[in-house]
Amino acid sequence: MNPGPDATTLNGKMEIKSDTDVVDIRSKVRDLCNRIGFSLPETTRVVTATSELARNIIEFAGTGEVRWKILENDSASAPQEETVGIELTFEDDGPGIEDLEWAMQDGTSTGNGLGKGLPGAKKLMDEMEVESGPGSGTRITLKKWSVGK
Amino acid sequence: MTEEEVSIVKVRNVLLVTIPSSPSDRTIDNLQDSILTGMKNVNPEGVILDISLVNIVDSFFARTIEETSEMISLMGGRTVIAGMQPAVAVTAMELGLNFGNVETALNVEKALDVLSGPGTEESSDQGEEVR
Repeated sequence: MNPGPDATTLNGKMEIKSDTDVVDIRSKVRDLCNRIGFSLPETTRVVTATSELARNIIEFAGTGEVRWKILENDSASAPQEETVGIELTFEDDGPGIEDLEWAMQDGTSTGNGLGKGLPGAKKLMDEMEVESGPGSGTRITLKKWSVGK
Repeated sequence: MTEEEVSIVKVRNVLLVTIPSSPSDRTIDNLQDSILTGMKNVNPEGVILDISLVNIVDSFFARTIEETSEMISLMGGRTVIAGMQPAVAVTAMELGLNFGNVETALNVEKALDVLSGPGTEESSDQGEEVR
């Protein structure tokens, strides 16, 4: 019934340069989560985290890119057998994050949001890695695992 | 209704605003303007934001809804959010999203009861297009 993800859809990327791209990447990520058998609450968490970080790209860097990768059962980093996951990378060449510790605090915001972008994404996902510095852009990698259907 | 289309109709004496499933930031911004214009033109008791189609609520959405409800309040109206999906409620709570003091209802019918009291069958079936 479920053919599973085929090789051509396991990896991909999308350019983010306007608020309609944010809508498109949400839709893409929702589709991927559905395809690998994430539950509706799991999918909603991943899509919400995607929305926050894609908006950060527009707000702070203007343009950037989101890449996705389906993590299959045999992935060495999977926390248990039978686990599927999704990895999302948000990358831009913007001004970078000056004070990461501050940016990760709840309620912190330098832009238009509620300050829930980074800490919010971290709460909704299983893993988050941030590589950033002043003038060197930002790369944020998120992972979410599920036991699947 | 297309993905990005917002509908605003007058039902009984309230503005019923239906928000699409995955609104862009611009759609949400425009929505705020349309609602405030509707408040002025239609003079309703309040506004129902029907979010039963909405499958993603993030910090920008929550902040704009909170702001809009405060503006509606300043103009003398009440706001009720109706029909939040279960998965959205779970995520909103985990994110710590705060909609301020906006009232909520399980669905539009209950929201109408909150704003204008229980109505009769005839008065609640058809909306009048205001935008």
